Amino acid sequence: MKLPDFNLGIQQTERKTRRFMWAAFAVLVLVSGVIAFRQDYFVRNTSVYFFAPNAQGLNKGMAVKFIGFKVGSVQEISMESNASVKVKLSLDSEYVRLIGQDAKARLMKEALVGESVVEIIPGERQVRQVAQNSVLEFERGQDAGSLAESLAAQVQPILSDVRQITASINNPRGDIQQILKNLNQVSSGLRETVTQLNGLAQSGSQKLDGVYVKVDRALDKANSSLETLDKSLPGLVEKADTTLNHVQSVALDLKQMAQVSSSQVPALLRNTNALVEDGQETLKGVQKAWPFNGWLPKAEESALPLDGYVMPPELKR
Amino acid sequence: MKVFRFFRSVFLLALFMLSACSHEMPFVSQRHELAVSYNQRAQRAYQRGEYETASGLYEHALRLDSAIENVEGIALNTLNLAKVNRALGKSDVAQLYLDRLLHDRALTYPVEQMSAAAAQYGLLRLQAGDIAAANTWAEQAVAYCGSQCNQGGVIANLRANIAVQANDAERAWYWSARALSANKAEGGIEYANALRLAAQSRLLKLEAGEAVPLLEEALGIDKKQGLPEKIRMDLLLLAQAQEALGRADLAAPLRERAVRITASLTK
Repeated sequence: MKLPDFNLGIQQTERKTRRFMWAAFAVLVLVSGVIAFRQDYFVRNTSVYFFAPNAQGLNKGMAVKFIGFKVGSVQEISMESNASVKVKLSLDSEYVRLIGQDAKARLMKEALVGESVVEIIPGERQVRQVAQNSVLEFERGQDAGSLAESLAAQVQPILSDVRQITASINNPRGDIQQILKNLNQVSSGLRETVTQLNGLAQSGSQKLDGVYVKVDRALDKANSSLETLDKSLPGLVEKADTTLNHVQSVALDLKQMAQVSSSQVPALLRNTNALVEDGQETLKGVQKAWPFNGWLPKAEESALPLDGYVMPPELKR
Repeated sequence: MKVFRFFRSVFLLALFMLSACSHEMPFVSQRHELAVSYNQRAQRAYQRGEYETASGLYEHALRLDSAIENVEGIALNTLNLAKVNRALGKSDVAQLYLDRLLHDRALTYPVEQMSAAAAQYGLLRLQAGDIAAANTWAEQAVAYCGSQCNQGGVIANLRANIAVQANDAERAWYWSARALSANKAEGGIEYANALRLAAQSRLLKLEAGEAVPLLEEALGIDKKQGLPEKIRMDLLLLAQAQEALGRADLAAPLRERAVRITASLTK
């Protein structure tokens, strides 16, 4: 191998190495950037604190949520000299304006057995928003264990009541046992009554047989009457049909007449009205005109004649 | 000559027509005209004996007259409403209408109508048996009336009525005689009333024989006028006179006729 060729090989290797190094550096920068982004290094954060009696359920990196949205994370958990736990939360400054000084930090599970989160509960009053290094009040939310405990506390008295009722049912001197005994007696009495009723029904059916015979005869008579009616009905129906036909045709005629006249009636009424008004006007004119005004009574208000007689009380009706 | 006569006739006719045309009718407002119409319809209803209808129509007329402040119309229709209510047997309502007229301080009504109102008030008081008040109102009616008044006949009848109800035979005869002379010319209801009152005064004076012709004349007029209550009254008084004369056989059919009229009125 000649020297120039060797130098050329070394130069190529160096170039490749440099390229690899640059690529590795770029990947390193990219990964660091992603990690930094994931760790919210590019987000402006506000640190707030809360103090918990113990660190149970609290972890570093735990999500901090506000009305269901992630607004930060638990940044640091440390023990204080008074044996309380100081928790530092890093909140996204963008959402800090929504959290008031009276907000609470509550440790809770997202579901019954889900991931634990720190939920920021908004305060009730409109106060100043939290600032850097503000301290929030802390409370623990109910987890599955505490829920089970409260449920057990509520069920326990019910179970004791059930136990008492069962004991009362089993007690031979108890009310329920006495009621059952009475019911037994009543049912045996009923059995006797049913037997008596059966006897009564039998004698009744014998009497009813006689009634049936009489009813049969009556029905026979009714049948014969109906037969007579059957014979005479067709004629009657025929006559009624004819009459109804006549009535129908008359009604039809009337309807036609009404239809024909219906369009003319309103006009006729209007004309009549106008005619009457005209007549009145004419009459008024005539009444006022000479020589009629002399013949007709004067158009003026008059008094009724006064009856100057009072009936004697003894002759009243 | 004939031509002259013709032209003269034409000229006279033209003159006559001109005089007729120059006669101008007084202007009457629409409301007044309507009030007159209601008043006349009410009068016809009253004459047919449809008192409720008459009352409604007179109220319409009164409202219209009050709206245009036609004083004479207000007085006439108020008086008429009092008369209609008296005929309906609502004496208290009639009295209220008359009170409205007699105690009105805002309007001044014609004396003729004030006199009629006072006379009617007196009749209502007499009907209620208050003879003293009836007398006072009769005096009041005379005071309103003065010398020139058409109410003289009615007032004389009222006074005769008062005397009859007070059993004062002399006064009753005095006032009924005056009523007879005052109402004779008219010859209508008031004259029949005067005849009946004269007969009653005769009965009070125990002159039943004198009462019979008076009552028969009154009965004739009342029949002509078609006034059942008055006919019944005449028949009962005639029966009373016949009984006083000891003619019970003549009195019985008269009473029977009166009973039949009562029955037809109550049906």
